[in-house]
Amino acid sequence: MLFALKAREPLTAVLAGFALTCLPAVLPINPASKPAGSATLSVLPRAQAQTNPASTASTAKVLRISAIPDQKPEKLNRLYGLVANELSKQLGVTVKYVPVTDYTAAVSAFRTGDLDLVWFGGLTGVQARLQKPGARVLAQRDIDASFHTIFIASTRSGLQPFNNVKGLTELKGKRFTFGSESSTSGRLMPQYFLGKAGVKLSDFAGGAPGFSGSHDATIALVQSGAYDAGAVNAQVWRSSLRDGKANRSKVIAIWKTPGYPDYHWIAQPNLDQRFGKGFTTKVQQAIVSWRPSDPEQKQILGLFGAQQFTDANAAAYGQIEQVGRQIGKIR
Amino acid sequence: MRPAPPLLVLLPALVLLPVLLMLPQLLHGGGWDLIGQFAWAALTPATDPVVVQSLLRGLGITAGMALLGWALSLLLGLGLGLLSSRLIWHTLSGAAAPAALIRRLLALPRSIHELIWGLLLLQLIGQRPAVAVVAIAIPYGALVARVVSDLLDALPTRGLEALRTAGAPATGALLTAIGPPLLPGVISYSGYRLECALRSATLLGVFGLGGLGNELLLTLQSLQFHELWSGLWLLLAVMLTLESTIALLRRRWSMPRRLGLAAAAVPVGSRGREILLALALLLPVLLLVAGALEVKPTDLLQWQPLPPLAPQGWATALALPWPSLIGSTLLLTLIAAGLAVGAAPLLLLAVAPWPWGRTLLQLLWAFGRLWPPPLTALLLLFVLQPGVIAAALALGFHNLGILGRLLLEGCEAAGPATEQALLCSGTTPRLALLYGRFSALARTYLAYGAYRSDVILRETVVVGLVAGSGLGSQLRESLSGFAWDQLAALLAVYALLTLVGEDLSDRGRQRLLGTA
Repeated sequence: MLFALKAREPLTAVLAGFALTCLPAVLPINPASKPAGSATLSVLPRAQAQTNPASTASTAKVLRISAIPDQKPEKLNRLYGLVANELSKQLGVTVKYVPVTDYTAAVSAFRTGDLDLVWFGGLTGVQARLQKPGARVLAQRDIDASFHTIFIASTRSGLQPFNNVKGLTELKGKRFTFGSESSTSGRLMPQYFLGKAGVKLSDFAGGAPGFSGSHDATIALVQSGAYDAGAVNAQVWRSSLRDGKANRSKVIAIWKTPGYPDYHWIAQPNLDQRFGKGFTTKVQQAIVSWRPSDPEQKQILGLFGAQQFTDANAAAYGQIEQVGRQIGKIR
Repeated sequence: MRPAPPLLVLLPALVLLPVLLMLPQLLHGGGWDLIGQFAWAALTPATDPVVVQSLLRGLGITAGMALLGWALSLLLGLGLGLLSSRLIWHTLSGAAAPAALIRRLLALPRSIHELIWGLLLLQLIGQRPAVAVVAIAIPYGALVARVVSDLLDALPTRGLEALRTAGAPATGALLTAIGPPLLPGVISYSGYRLECALRSATLLGVFGLGGLGNELLLTLQSLQFHELWSGLWLLLAVMLTLESTIALLRRRWSMPRRLGLAAAAVPVGSRGREILLALALLLPVLLLVAGALEVKPTDLLQWQPLPPLAPQGWATALALPWPSLIGSTLLLTLIAAGLAVGAAPLLLLAVAPWPWGRTLLQLLWAFGRLWPPPLTALLLLFVLQPGVIAAALALGFHNLGILGRLLLEGCEAAGPATEQALLCSGTTPRLALLYGRFSALARTYLAYGAYRSDVILRETVVVGLVAGSGLGSQLRESLSGFAWDQLAALLAVYALLTLVGEDLSDRGRQRLLGTA
């Protein structure tokens, strides 16, 4: 018994010593944030939220841009990498693209102050502004003032193109998929027009529509025949046809909705405090100044599927807000 | 009338009948091409270094989150487990009442799935690496606490009483008399929890909380099956390595099994020095991982205000179709549990005559454990209509992977004697397996099945989010509408359901084990 104890003791001591030596090497994970954390412990959460950006000096000078993940991540990475470079060049600050994983997460991250400038859809933009009073609508594409949804169908489904909203009744009993549940062109407006035609969500095969997650996914799923029909963003549909991702012998457009306002850039209310007076306007001017004559800006505009950006104002999105309230996405 | 034990095992498989009958109507066959492409891609995963690199990074994050969440949950669980043990309270203060109260309170964090914790914390704290870690640690911690206190209160107290009567102080007596016998059970259970944590971390990733899960989802959604399979094979390698390491350590350290009959021949819990060394190594590893993932505990203190509530919110929350939501959730649980519990012995019986059958099944089950249920549901939707059956199949498949492995482990631990005797006397391999091994295991297996059904009820939220059925689908809608009132109501209903479910499954388990 005694012997066993003796043999064990030095080993334990060595182990304890080893663990202790490792400790300081890894313990100060973030020495800078420690005093801030302990100081604000007694303060209300709301107050912390306000002091937070100021206390972390390293993030204060980085403009974090993001976008709702409406397309494939590879494309988003390429596009917003270019946007970050261009803005960084024009504004003289570090610009970082922060990818988010879903539409709701983009809105939440904007509310929590983790994102400074976000390319939102119509609905998510309204949600973001309602959750962050004072946020500014900066710009939209030339195509966003009157944006469209395309209803697409697989050729196997037997669905035929039509010219009137009433034609949507043909979709009853079919397998139908939206894009993301918070998408304006992939869910909100198509659901609004389906409602106008008297089609309820429970009228689809299986008693519910699918939510593919993104416009690319909707096109792929309808083209494969997994769903008979779906609703996609007109610009993504056009670019899929152009680059051959959508095969006309397998998937066709059956109806184009009337226009409605969609995507836009929204900025945090506190950019001027953090980056200097007039910074928000500078960002707006930079975005609006992009022209196809500049090779890099041409690439960006091409990926956005637009000729140029224009100033946008919040009032234009009143219709989206109204529909959002009807459908229960805005309350 | 009571069914014979071998039949008892097969009883839950009855749920297969209605499912198989309904399946032809639900199949739409639109996406068989896609299923074919998916299967083919398994053999031809993408090997592009850029893809593999980003997958490896994701895998690292997932594994790191799992490890940290697991470690934190053990810490929490041990502390809370001691706090909710009748024995400890009784020895230290003479009254056992606070233990029961703490135990009840702990049922609440346990009743809510880690995914919901994750999504809620995401709203409160924002996108921080710490979110996933804490999301895993909260329900896991409460689960570990329950197991620890159960283990503690089931230990023989003679040693403790002897020490106390001899005049030893309470804490010292507890440490000496209770510590050593408690440890093997806790270590064995914590190994199992680490396996679960890896699965949970993958699942949290699917819903955007970081790591490999999100890449799996995105590649599936954009139908890039080759990339998807590179991720799946990598994850499989990690999962199997982890599982076999834990099994090896469990054997080496003579720790008790989860589902076993034969009492261990070696004294439980040997090689204390190795265990100590492993624990000592764990600490620096954990700190390094936390540093690499930028998990900062201070992040958790920075709460963000929630968006304002709508004035009529509570009225709309009450107006949700509660009966049908709850009904389909319960139906989903029943079918999924029946599928998982029933199919495992049935499949083992089906392949009993073929030597390679069991290996194939093990691979299938490994995939079941590996694939997050929402991914399986998405795959199923290529050929099935959305709804309860699709969701139940996805959830059942996942749990089949877990139950099947346990059943097989239990079978192997039971020893081959009876089965061999039956085989030698000319019985067919299937009957020999059924009577030789399953009948002895029947009650413990079903008791574990009862526990698993309770877990499945909690997991319904995960597939509901995808397959459009039950409370889960409503949860997704309410989340995307930022309807906090609806979310609160949904969570309350969920918690209530799982608490009732837990109680029922406990009673079922006690009856099964008590009459054995």
